[in-house]
Amino acid sequence: MALLDEPIKGTPTIKNYINGEWVDSKGELFDVVNPVKNETIARVAMSTGEEFDAAVKAAHEAYPDWRRTPAVSRARYLHRFRELLEENFEELSRVQTQEHGKSIDESRGETRRGIENVEVACGIPTMMMGDTSEDIASGIDEYLIRVPLGVFGIIGPFNFPFMIPLWSAPYAVATGNTVVIKPSEQCPISQTKLGELVDEAGFPPGVWNIVHGEKKVVNAMLDNPGIVGITFVGSTPTARDVIYPRCGASGKRVIAQAGASNMIVIMPDANVKATVPALMTSFFGNAGQRCLAGQNLIVVGEANGFYDDFMEAVTTAARQIVVGNGLDESVQMGPVKDQQKKQRILGYIESGLREGATIKLDGRKANIVGEYPDACFLGPTILENVNPNMKIVNEEIFGPTMGVMRAKNLDEAIAICNKNPYHNADSIFTSSGKYARQFQYEINCGNIGINIGIAAPMAFYPFSGMSGSFYGILHTQGKEAVRFFTESKVCIHRWL
Amino acid sequence: MRLHTTSETISFLKELEEQAAQFFESIAQKYSKNEDLWHSLAKENRKYGSQIQRTYQSVISDAIEGCFAFDLESDDHTLDAELSGNAGYGDAVAKAVAVEEKLLAFYHAAADQSMSLLADVPRNMKIVARKRTARLERLKSLG
Repeated sequence: MALLDEPIKGTPTIKNYINGEWVDSKGELFDVVNPVKNETIARVAMSTGEEFDAAVKAAHEAYPDWRRTPAVSRARYLHRFRELLEENFEELSRVQTQEHGKSIDESRGETRRGIENVEVACGIPTMMMGDTSEDIASGIDEYLIRVPLGVFGIIGPFNFPFMIPLWSAPYAVATGNTVVIKPSEQCPISQTKLGELVDEAGFPPGVWNIVHGEKKVVNAMLDNPGIVGITFVGSTPTARDVIYPRCGASGKRVIAQAGASNMIVIMPDANVKATVPALMTSFFGNAGQRCLAGQNLIVVGEANGFYDDFMEAVTTAARQIVVGNGLDESVQMGPVKDQQKKQRILGYIESGLREGATIKLDGRKANIVGEYPDACFLGPTILENVNPNMKIVNEEIFGPTMGVMRAKNLDEAIAICNKNPYHNADSIFTSSGKYARQFQYEINCGNIGINIGIAAPMAFYPFSGMSGSFYGILHTQGKEAVRFFTESKVCIHRWL
Repeated sequence: MRLHTTSETISFLKELEEQAAQFFESIAQKYSKNEDLWHSLAKENRKYGSQIQRTYQSVISDAIEGCFAFDLESDDHTLDAELSGNAGYGDAVAKAVAVEEKLLAFYHAAADQSMSLLADVPRNMKIVARKRTARLERLKSLG
């Protein structure tokens, strides 16, 4: 089947976008590596703190005018932006595949979900409306208006380099704030392409800024008193130990979305035919590199017959997954992002085996379609005889692995889920409404799937991780994002 | 070759539609009879391919089973869409009917397998299949 064209040609140097201009950084250059060929496709500078501060200054200068721009006008910028995203849908998707490695279906899915957030933010004239009460006392009225706050920082991860900053940025600017985005240094090209479309859409200079880099930029963002709030998506240690406390200490608002070790519960009455493909997407889609991915499978029931048949179906399907270059349309799973990540995942598999797990499907040596180095490739791995105390259950692996546990009944399965330190997304597969309701009611996590392997909220719902997977109060996306990016002003008035 | 991903299945579908469109245009060119009809059928073929692709792009999500939505054998759905030099108009119509029947079968098979891609993709495939059934009747009446 067709190998689609690579959109990134040559080895461009990625620039910062500050105050409506593309500017070179003085920082050291970092290689952006395509994990399929394990070759450099671009270079990006690790910007300095001063460069970040310059972006904040530009964002500050743009803020007063942008805030005064009526919400309907701000929405029209977003409408133009959305049209450009649609026009460039395919190129944007291929860029993600080339810089990240994911399959083209997954990249198009990422593009679509990013665009959906822009679409929702286009409704800002309605979403930002306040509340009014007439006659709270005789002749006295009270109303609430939502106002923007200033300049926000947005820190994006490598695994969804296009979509995740769009969980925040469209809402931030729609509500009248200005932003400085720090994309992942490992996958900076998607946000750069997006920045080109922001520029083409004609947003005023300084409203939307992009500064590439890593720790120095993050520290500058955390330290800069001009940044009123930060949204972050990344690992739990960084969210919990760095972003959240430092935002708290400096009085910044914060949404810190973190890691996961999600559980998928299989009841004996599950529709096996429909469940298996959903599990393939959940555990092995995006090569397992997503915070909504299944990591642990809990098969309920003591009878070996169902377990054996089910695991046979799962293993057969996983074994057949086509691994290779995501730009090959037949490929179902691409590589992981880099060699370090591959080694880390291999380390977890070894750890599981040392702790007593057994290997049902060994993906440590991938069977790759096409002539590519195996530097970053892994195949799907299935480990059985896993127990809830193992490291491979209690830490985030972020790779194409499935750890299989068994539970006597649903109560025990829910207890295993709730004991886990992460509470991002758990799912149940069942034909029973009773089981489904009990699961939804008792499970302690933010995103719940019922016969859904990836419980990804649509753009008009919050991305609702909970403890261990989330630090903050409000979440990204939809109405909660609008609340996060605005302050409530309550006015009580009486005319004498 | 087996088709599993949505991307390759939609590409295959578009190839089939293009192949059929070119075949109908070649009939229009070779025979003077019903020239406008053959051209309009070709135009519809390309429209159907684009419609399905647009639908796919408007519903695809990283959260659904885009890479695992299909299990189709492409060899079962290839078209015999070439006219031999001495083929008469009746032969051409018979071949056109066969092409439409193959396309119709492909749309039904693909729709039945892609329920996980949100309702829009299979629903649009079914809509195209319905239109195709009507086209088939028209083609049969030409023979």
